[in-house]
Amino acid sequence: MTGGSTRLQGRTRRLLGVMAVAVLSATAVGCGSNSGTSAGSSGSGPVTLEFAQWWAPELPAGSFDKLMSEFTAQNPNIKVKLLSGPYASTKQQLVSGAASRTLPDVVGLDGAWVSDFAKQGAIADLSELMTAAKYDSSQLASQIQVKGKTYMIPVVNFVYPLFVNNDLLSKAGVKKPPSTRTEFLDAAKKISALGGNVKGWALPLDTAVPNGIQNDVMSWLWASGGSMLTKDGKPDLTGQGVRSTVEYVKSLNDAGVVAPGSLTMKEQDKVEKFATGQVGMMIDSLAHITLIKKNNPKLDFSVVPIPAQDGYTGKRGIPYASWGIGVADSSEHKAEAFKLVQFLMNKQANAELSTLAKGFPGNKTAEPDFSTSDPLFKTAFDIYKEGYPANEFVGLPKAEDLMRSFDEQLQLLLTGKQSIDDTLNKAQQAWAPVL
Amino acid sequence: MLTRQRRRLYAKIAVLAGLCVGAAFAGLPVVWMLSTSFKTNGEVFQVPPRLITDNFSFDAYAKILGDAAQLRFFINSYIVALSVTVLTLFVAILAAYGFSRYNFPMKRSINAVIVTVQAVPPITLVIPYFGLVVGLGLYNTYPGLILTHMVFTLPYAIIMMTAYFNTLPRELDESVKVDGASSWTALWRILVPISVPGLVAVGVYTFMISWNEYLFALTLTRTDDMRTVPIGIQLLMGQHSYEWNQMMAMSILGSIPVLLLFLLFQRRFIGGLTSGAVKA
Amino acid sequence: METAKLDPAASPGAPPPAAESAAGRRRSTRPFPVQRVVPFGYLSPTLILIFVLMIIPIAMVVSYSFKDNVIVEQNPVFAGLANYTTVLTDPNFLAALKNTFIFITLSTAAHLGLGLAFATMLNSPLLGGVTKAIFRIVYILPWLFTVAVIAVIWRLMLDPSGVVNYILTTIGVLRAEVSWLSDPNMALWALTFINIWAGFPFFMISILAGLQGISPVLYEAASVDGATAFRQFRNVTLPQLKPVLLSMAVLDLIWTSQQFALIWMTTGGGPLNVTEMLSTYTYKQAFSSYEFATASAAAVIVLLLTMILAVFYVRLQKER
Repeated sequence: MTGGSTRLQGRTRRLLGVMAVAVLSATAVGCGSNSGTSAGSSGSGPVTLEFAQWWAPELPAGSFDKLMSEFTAQNPNIKVKLLSGPYASTKQQLVSGAASRTLPDVVGLDGAWVSDFAKQGAIADLSELMTAAKYDSSQLASQIQVKGKTYMIPVVNFVYPLFVNNDLLSKAGVKKPPSTRTEFLDAAKKISALGGNVKGWALPLDTAVPNGIQNDVMSWLWASGGSMLTKDGKPDLTGQGVRSTVEYVKSLNDAGVVAPGSLTMKEQDKVEKFATGQVGMMIDSLAHITLIKKNNPKLDFSVVPIPAQDGYTGKRGIPYASWGIGVADSSEHKAEAFKLVQFLMNKQANAELSTLAKGFPGNKTAEPDFSTSDPLFKTAFDIYKEGYPANEFVGLPKAEDLMRSFDEQLQLLLTGKQSIDDTLNKAQQAWAPVL
Repeated sequence: MLTRQRRRLYAKIAVLAGLCVGAAFAGLPVVWMLSTSFKTNGEVFQVPPRLITDNFSFDAYAKILGDAAQLRFFINSYIVALSVTVLTLFVAILAAYGFSRYNFPMKRSINAVIVTVQAVPPITLVIPYFGLVVGLGLYNTYPGLILTHMVFTLPYAIIMMTAYFNTLPRELDESVKVDGASSWTALWRILVPISVPGLVAVGVYTFMISWNEYLFALTLTRTDDMRTVPIGIQLLMGQHSYEWNQMMAMSILGSIPVLLLFLLFQRRFIGGLTSGAVKA
Repeated sequence: METAKLDPAASPGAPPPAAESAAGRRRSTRPFPVQRVVPFGYLSPTLILIFVLMIIPIAMVVSYSFKDNVIVEQNPVFAGLANYTTVLTDPNFLAALKNTFIFITLSTAAHLGLGLAFATMLNSPLLGGVTKAIFRIVYILPWLFTVAVIAVIWRLMLDPSGVVNYILTTIGVLRAEVSWLSDPNMALWALTFINIWAGFPFFMISILAGLQGISPVLYEAASVDGATAFRQFRNVTLPQLKPVLLSMAVLDLIWTSQQFALIWMTTGGGPLNVTEMLSTYTYKQAFSSYEFATASAAAVIVLLLTMILAVFYVRLQKER
């Protein structure tokens, strides 16, 4: 029996050896076929660019493909293959792709991701590509930079003004949309007093996608010209600006004017509640105007600037989110990839895309055609031009994580588990090591 | 005698009542899903909620069925789930035969490894797994997805099939082998044909897992022509808004094949589990 | 051993698995050792698949867990047990551990309880075959849907002004609307409830199969002894089902502990972290904080914990 088992051990080893060889050869074959496809022609031959984004599903069906064929018509040697994914999982896919250096050539980016991808070496330095292409960047409305180098260019910007339900306001006896924080609290109270399911305001604080901190909380700060950072970029959460904002949000919550369920409410829920008249006011993306009109054609609403602190007369910051664009560092066709960036940023294509997306163009000279769309866009464009785009999370490292840790502290405050001082101090402590 | 009959009647009523309560628990969310699929997006959040709204329509279904891109998700799901089912059954039959009919060194440890694999939380594996699949050239391919799903369906399939084979007397395969046939022949000619109920049970289970799998189907694909129904459903959840009715319509449509599968095989499915799972 | 001698593994005609045939041909003169290789031949597809697609990634995760700044930086350094210390001292991780424990034990208990109750009723001799078939179909409905949709439909129904609150307030069970998923005192229970709904059919069906496997002779014997329905259940059904129930319970604990998408898409771990589970904690560490090393350490800890369950399961199997 002992003899048998030693013989057997030898055999087992051999068998394992065979398996290992099989595995290795499978791997080799796999790698071979992989490099075969990716080592395309980097010379003058036709090139296919992969462009990963979540935009195409959000635009009218087929319209983004049409724009891409316009690009191919102008650049016959470059084809574009669109890789469209759900927004909620785009980031995870890009992280995985970056980890194995298989990022598509051109990627749609959110400002909150840029710093992390740049640090990881996943996205290319666009400043370099702009120089190489002799690109005149003066027409760009903004560039997202990390350590002085551009990594993302916002293609379309979506601003977040205050949406008000005119019917509810007049029913509640509010003559004009609120312009200061006091007026807003007052209006919210009156709307909530209408009874039923109606509340004054919606505050989505879901932690899975903690964008509510940026869009619905910090927006109050920026609207009064405040900042959550010090001049040298350190967190300033215990400063007067953030404190008064958080105090104000708490006062709205304490007054019972916030729609129930806010601790796990998502942005989409907020919009649905506004569209069905369950919420009188919300801070929201202009991109939603069409959706709201479609879901509830009878809803009478308008957009106004986000209320500022009483007595504030300076320019108001308006939060925005962008569809940004970047180029993968691992791309073998960076020059061609930048051609696509250039195309999307040129006056005509940029205006066209902005019109389709109902956003504001990333090219300063582009003139989106709002003539056929809702007059509210015109109003919003005026608000936008009067103020300045403000989103301090753009370009920050681990931006989503910062929002989430702030969110968690704010939730503790709103549920009465801790004081304002603790909230701000703990959030400050959470942010300090990151920034 | 009368009291006995009456008692039976009461018992029957009690059981029926219990079943109805249970059916409400199990079925009402599905009824709401159906109802939502017939509403317009604006009516989904209507207060007070209503089961049937003014704009009752089949538009959402028409949109899904009339869109080639959406139908592609269904085709992909079929390809992947069917391949996974067939391959899982094949590989599991071999392994279960090995476990059931042979004694060999490290049997217990290998069995333990196979069971333990089920204990690996998939979410933690995503990053290295992704790298591996890309390295093997299987990224965004059917084989990549199929092999991945197999890793997750195999352990339970092997456990079940081993238990099933264990219930079949060894004399069965011995009898063929006496005639000079190999173990391979014994397995495929004798054991497999009489194991159909067990195979159906494992097959239905495997198909359902693969059909509904979400995390890897998302991570390991990147073009729409490779994506499966669960991802297609999630694509209807945009950055800013959800297509509630289409999402629900698609999931109802997606559940129909699985339901048919169950209807077709329910007797055998339960029968197969009876012999397998009981001992698993 | 007799089996072994009788088996001419390398018989022509029928194609045996590759490993078997290669080894078999070489050693056809010595049948005994060949026999020892045959089972590995049958197991080889499984072993190769699990080795390449499971053991290797697990090994990679384990190696990440001892390094610093993996993925994010090109040259990670060895960090020893630092990541494990970080994770094990993180109050959020400990909270996630506690929540996961509550979530999986409650889910499993309810899956088995409901599964047993429904299966017993569905197996009742009092009802006709068609009635039972119809109920059986209704009962497996939750099993047919993918997690993404389950999350969405329940979010919709449990919304403060959704249909659940509407029904409960209308019939007078509730006086005020409840924010099921966003009330810190409610969310974990609501989430567990959803998971119970989503998962019970499989257990019900398995238990139903178990019930049908119990020999009617046992019941007849019991009823001859004059046992009531309840006593029959306690003295015949439960003991006979015990093995099924035990192994299903262990499998369910393992499977439920892996639940991620459902939690992520309903509550995302909130409100106030009351629904934070080990899976969501790990995900946030990796994809939001970019701390892949600590995420890996957390993953390894989870793996070790679930392995205890797996070992227990193997023990159970061995006992029979």
